[in-house]
Parts: sequence; C-alpha cells; structure tokens
Amino acid sequence: MTFAVRTWDRMSPTARLTAILVPLALLLAVATVIGVLVVVPATINFLGANLPLVRFGVAVVGILVLTIPTAFVLIYMELKIIARMNLRVGPNRIGPWGAAMSLVHGFKVLSKEDFAPTGADLPVFTLAPVVTFLASVMTLLVVPFAPGIFGQDFNIGLLFFFAMGGLSVLGLLMAGWASFNKYSLLGGLRSAAQIVSYEIPLTVSVVGVVILAGTMSTNSIVLAQRGSALDWFVFKQPLAALIFFIAATAEANRTPFDMTEADSEIVAGFATEYSGMRFGFFFFAEYVNVFIVSALITTVFFGGWTAPFNWPWPYNLNWLDAWSIGILWIPIAGIVLFVGTDIMAAVVRLLGGKAWTAPSAFGLGLLITGALMTAAVGLALFIAFDWVQGIFWFMAKTYVFVFIVRLDARHAAPRPGGSADGLRLEMAPARIASQPLRDGNRRDHPEPVNAR
Amino acid sequence: MPPRTTRTTGRATRSAAPRPPHASEDDPRIMLDREISSDLYDPVPPYPTQTEREAEFYTRGDGEMFLNVGPHHPATHGVLRLVLKLSGEQVVDVDPVLGYLHRGVEKICENSDYYHVIDQVDPLEYVSSLFQEWAAVLAFEKLMDVEVPARAEWIRVLSGELLRISSHTLFMGFLALDLGGLTPILYSFIERDEIVEMLAALTGARMLFNYFRIGGVNGDLNHEFLSRLGDWMSRAAKQTEANAGLLNENEIFVRRARGVGVLSREMALRYGVTGGNLRASGVPFDVRRAHPYSVYPALDFNVPTRLEGDALARYLIRVDEVRESIKIIDQCLHNMPDGPVMAKLPRLLRPHPGRAWGAVEGPRGMLGVYAISDGSDQPFRFRIHDPSFVNLETVPALLPGNLLADTMAIVSSLDPVMGGIDK
Repeated sequence: MTFAVRTWDRMSPTARLTAILVPLALLLAVATVIGVLVVVPATINFLGANLPLVRFGVAVVGILVLTIPTAFVLIYMELKIIARMNLRVGPNRIGPWGAAMSLVHGFKVLSKEDFAPTGADLPVFTLAPVVTFLASVMTLLVVPFAPGIFGQDFNIGLLFFFAMGGLSVLGLLMAGWASFNKYSLLGGLRSAAQIVSYEIPLTVSVVGVVILAGTMSTNSIVLAQRGSALDWFVFKQPLAALIFFIAATAEANRTPFDMTEADSEIVAGFATEYSGMRFGFFFFAEYVNVFIVSALITTVFFGGWTAPFNWPWPYNLNWLDAWSIGILWIPIAGIVLFVGTDIMAAVVRLLGGKAWTAPSAFGLGLLITGALMTAAVGLALFIAFDWVQGIFWFMAKTYVFVFIVRLDARHAAPRPGGSADGLRLEMAPARIASQPLRDGNRRDHPEPVNAR
Repeated sequence: MPPRTTRTTGRATRSAAPRPPHASEDDPRIMLDREISSDLYDPVPPYPTQTEREAEFYTRGDGEMFLNVGPHHPATHGVLRLVLKLSGEQVVDVDPVLGYLHRGVEKICENSDYYHVIDQVDPLEYVSSLFQEWAAVLAFEKLMDVEVPARAEWIRVLSGELLRISSHTLFMGFLALDLGGLTPILYSFIERDEIVEMLAALTGARMLFNYFRIGGVNGDLNHEFLSRLGDWMSRAAKQTEANAGLLNENEIFVRRARGVGVLSREMALRYGVTGGNLRASGVPFDVRRAHPYSVYPALDFNVPTRLEGDALARYLIRVDEVRESIKIIDQCLHNMPDGPVMAKLPRLLRPHPGRAWGAVEGPRGMLGVYAISDGSDQPFRFRIHDPSFVNLETVPALLPGNLLADTMAIVSSLDPVMGGIDK
C-alpha cells in the first residue's frame, strides 16, 4: 500500500491521467466487445420479435418531445395575441420578434427554487404535476397526425382520450389537497366540479360521430371523413360540434372557464403554492391541453388530416429518380443557390436603388433564394408524400382552432373601432411635465422659435 | 473559552451571564411541527373576544371554513382584509379588518398650520386626491370667510371633473379585472394616464397634486395643460363610449354583475351611503346639486340615477357620470372668466374661533371636512368624513349568501379606496 501511495506521489499529472484512463479504456473495450457480441443481437432479436413495443416506445418519446415546441409556440402566440388586444407590443427582445421568449421562460422556470410549503403532503404534492402532465400528454397517443403517423390505433381511441382527459383532473385535485392552502383546495375542488360537469356533454356529443363512423378508433373516424370538406362530420353533426367545442374549452380550463385558477378570487387556484418546474409542468400541461383539444376537434369533426377538397392523392415523382443522378442533386442545389443569389441580388439592386449596398443586396438575395428553394423542396415533398400533406392539413386546421380557443382569452375582444383609431401606442410622447411645451413640438413650427 | 469578538464592533464581549435555557417545549411562541394542523392558519380571534358578535363570528359551525382574503390579495383594493366564513363556496359571514394604513392623519392635521393641512390630506383619497383637498379648503374658506376669485373656482371645477373621469375610468377597469377580464384595465389606464399627464402639466404632480389653496389654486392654466386637454377632449366622448362598449356589450360581464349585491334604497339611506352607490339605489342625491358649492349652480348637468342597486347599476352610473363630466368640462372651457386665481391672504392664517363643515361630491360620494378653530394658526379639531368608509360598511350586509366569486364583484363595485378608509 505504501508503495502504491509513494509511486502515485512521484508520478507526473500526465502519467496519473494515463494510469487512470488506460485501465478504463481496456474495461470499456472488453465491455463493448461483450455487448456487441452478446447483448445487442439479443436486444435486436427481442425488439424485432416485439415490433409493437418498439412502436409504442418511439411514439411515447416522440409525443413527449413534441409537447415542448407545441407549448412554446402556444405560449408565444398567447403572449402576442393578448398583447395586441391590450394595445401592448408583447415580447420583442429575445429572438426575432421575441419568438424565443418561451424558451427563456422555460429556463427561468427551471432555475427557480422548488418550494414546498410547511405542512404540505410532500409525496402527493410532488406527484400532482406529473400526473396532470402525463395524463394530458398521453391523450396525444391516439391522435392521428397523418396517414401512418399516430401513436396507437386503439379500437377504443375516443374512450381512451376521455379517460385520460378525466385523469388529468386527478392531478389538479391532488395539487389542491396537498398544498395545505385553502385557495388551492378551493381551486382543486372547482376543477373537479367543472370537469364532472363538462365531461358528460363532451362525451355524449361525440356519440353521433361514433355511430356515423361505426367505430371509436380515431384513425377510422378520420378515414370515414375522407373526400371533400362536405364529408366532414361537422356538417352532419353541427350541434354536436358546437357542444363539443364549448365543452372542450371548459375541459382545457381556458377562459371563460378558468374558474379553477381565477386569479381575482382564489389567488392562483391549485397552483398557488407551486413554483419552479413543478409549476412549469402545470403550465405546460395547460398549453398542451389547448393543442390537444384543438387536435381532437379537428380529428372528430373537421376531417383530421384529410384535405378540405378532393386532393389528387400523391403524384408519383419517380421521374426525378428516373434521371438517376442521385447524389448529384447536392452540387446542383449548390449551383442553383449560387446563381440564384446573384440574380436576386441584381434584382434587389435594380429595384431597390442605391440604398442597397452590395453586401446587403447579396444578403437579401441569399435569403430570397433560400426561401424559394426551401419552398420548392417543401412543395415537392408535399406532392410526393401523403404523410407530408396529412401533417400540413392537420396542423393547419388544429392551429386555426388553437387560435379560436385563444381568441376569447381573458374576455378580451378586439377593441370596437378597430386598430386604426384604437392603436395609439405612439401617441402621447413621454414628456416631463415640468418642461413647457415648446413651439417646436408643433407641426407648423419645425424649428424651436427660441432657437434664434 | 476565549472571549468571542463580535464582527460589528470589534470589541471583546464577555459571556458573563449565562444565557437562559432555550424554552423550546414550553415557549408558546415556538411552533412545533406536530402542532401544524389546518387550524394553524385560521384567523386568531381577539382574545378574550370583546363582543358577542366577535364570539359568534369566530365560532365555526359544521362544515364551515375561514378564508382570509387580504390584506395581500389580487382583488382586494389596497390593504382591505376580509375574513370570510365559508360554507363550501358560499359566504356565511364576513369580518372586515381595517387599519393597515392608519396614520392618524386627522391628528397630524390638528398639529399642522392651515396651509400644511392640504398636503397632509392628499394621500387619503389617493385615486382622486384633489377632492380631499377641495373639502378641506372649502371648510377653511368658510371658517375664514374668504372670497375665492371666480377664475379659481372654474379651474377647480375643471380639474376636479377631469380627475373624476380618471377615477371612474379606473373603477370600470378594476371592476372588470376583478371579474376576470384583464384587458379593460389597460384601456382605462390609457385614459387615466392622459388625464394625469395634463394635470401634471397644471399642478406639477401626477398623483398627490397639492394644487388647491385656501382662497384659490396654486397656478393658472398653462399652455401645455390646455393643449393636452384640447387634444384629449377632441375624442374623449368617443373614447368613453368605446371603452364602455367593451364591457357593456360583454355578456359575461353583464351576467356576472347583474343582480349581484343589491343595495336597496332603504338600506343605502340607513347606512348613509353616498355617491354613485346611493344613486344606483334610486336616491338622486348629489352634493353638487343638494348643497351647491363653487360654480356648480351655474353649470348644466344631470344627476344620473338608477333603480336596480346592483353591481351593474353601480357600474352604469359611473359610465353616465363620465358623460356628464365631459359636458361640465366643455362648459368650463367655454365659460372660463379671466382674472386672478388666488385671493390675497396673510402668510399666517389665524381664523376667528368657530366651526365649519365643507363637503364636496367626490367620485366615491360625499367627502366632508369638519374643522373647528380656536383662534390659533392650527385647526383645533379636524375631522374627515370619507365616503369609502361608509360604502364599505355595507359589505358585511351584502356578502352573506353570495358565492365567493361574487364577493369580488360586490366589493369592487362599491369602489373603496383604503387610504381614505384607514386615514
């Protein structure tokens, strides 16, 4: 032992590092060999034999990952839309047009203290946001995004959706109970009462659709609406669609159904005592919920991923392959980008005049060409693949509903009179009251009178 | 053990006297974890209970719960604390707790000279402080028998009505905010900001103006004030209608405010409620008409009245009053006489012994000041009648039986300002 210690003391730092790393590397090599020879083939065999399991795992991970950009986009949308209603500018500092605001919100929430009040029922308090979040996210499992792109095709898809949606209220109830706060308790109970009230019309309103489609599977319901917009169930069941929309808004706890977190009465409802990422999970779940109910309205009543008109289904773009140039597309794209940039820069310079210096003209030219090329590639994909079309139509419809659900946010309708006379942000310049109004501020005297 | 050195003084302190043993178990101030129960956060009644009413309130019935709303709560205006006794979501009983802002302003005023009183009373009605000044100045002018120049009176009416509009607009926004609508308050603040900016041009301050003087006002109208006022007046009426339309046409707002917190005519008279809250209950009492002061007899305006007495009526009365105030401002601008804005008064005021009562119609009701002079340069007695206090007294009668969500609508529709209530 003494020998080992003395040797270690005499070694240089490099030697010490080597003495640590070389055995480790050897161990790793042996483990890798064993893994490659034994574990990996066995795993692959196992997964290959159980493909549904793989599909399930990929779906769950994919859906969990999908929630993050969805919530970010929704939060940004809400901030901007409400800002316009309030005659504010909204986030405009971080990222282009403030688009990275939600990202910073996320970091802020992550960096905050994870506080739990004295007397809280800690296990329940900790589990509550998890339950709410997972229950919300798991409902996405049965939503078909495009032909072939969905989590699971349950034959009880709608039932699964409502069961999971009902489960999310359990989390709110847990939060309300465990916070050891009367406002939280009231908020939790309110949310339970509200879900119980609106769950029934929500479920009953889709019964007609289930009968029409003959199944509860969401995939089959979408397939049953294929054709044109006139085949959508909203035209066969308009009242049910309206009821479903209202009840779904209540299900997502959005205004005017935000009694569970009415900040003017019960401070923040069930979320009063939550902070940090625990609150973040509630926040996340709420916004994901908005997306989910919009997605379900789209799926059940508005044809899901089907196109609103008789779209000629995927064109065969095999003639591109028939050229048999394969990897040559990459240099071709480069040449197109290069030449296109030059042409666009020349056009910008011609149309824009002298204000456009060479660098800025080339920059704009690059931007325009890039956008055009991206659009061309997207168009090709859109034409060639039915799942690209499916996702496009699905997202377009869903975000229309997201927007409608947002629109009544905070009881705010756009101001009567429109933005033309409503938006007076740049009026009323900030002027110190003690300074007299100089004549220079008036339009008929461009120069201050007392300047001479 | 060596003597310890404290970091602040650097001097050695001897631990000569042993510290008393820590009384952890017996010390009632120390809260042990095992004592934490739901009773911990229940309000502690005054001990021993002073009145039967207190004893009754702090005895919980079956299934009842206390809920502390305030003093820090998003919906209580200022630092009002309401201890609610709830059965489910229904309010069974309520105990308003006041005094968080109490400074003893009346006593401070009795120790200041007459000029000084004006800026002492300013922070009471902090939303519309000119009216509080006006009441004090009115009482003192009666006490001293001062003749106020005509132009000063017109300026007082002009600035007062401007501030009334700003206060009412803010009320509408806060009422909507307490009912869950976030947007109207921002529109309200646009209006208020413009009014406050023009008053800042006139008086030099945005909130606590200190503008009225015994025998006049502090300064004449200036260019910036008038240009801002003209700019604002060119669209004030239209803007008021647009702001009111935002709420009047909102079905959720109307349904939540209608029939809530009905203050009957008899009840309002018995409690001594004044202002818009009284007029919403069907009593056409307005100090500007009932006990005219300043130049109000020469002005043409209506006293809007409603019969319902609920939160919606109280809101609509304010909307009507804003319209009337715009009319008054228009008349002020047309009839403003020329002349001095300040009477000639001695530096040190020593009124003859006597007593005087001056009352003005503030945005929240009758603001009165009762002053007694003993011949010295300070008021011998100075008492303030604040309308918010009287209006708030009706809350314990209006709340029971309503749901928790409606408490906010009721309290907010009475428009209390805690500065004046706590004095």
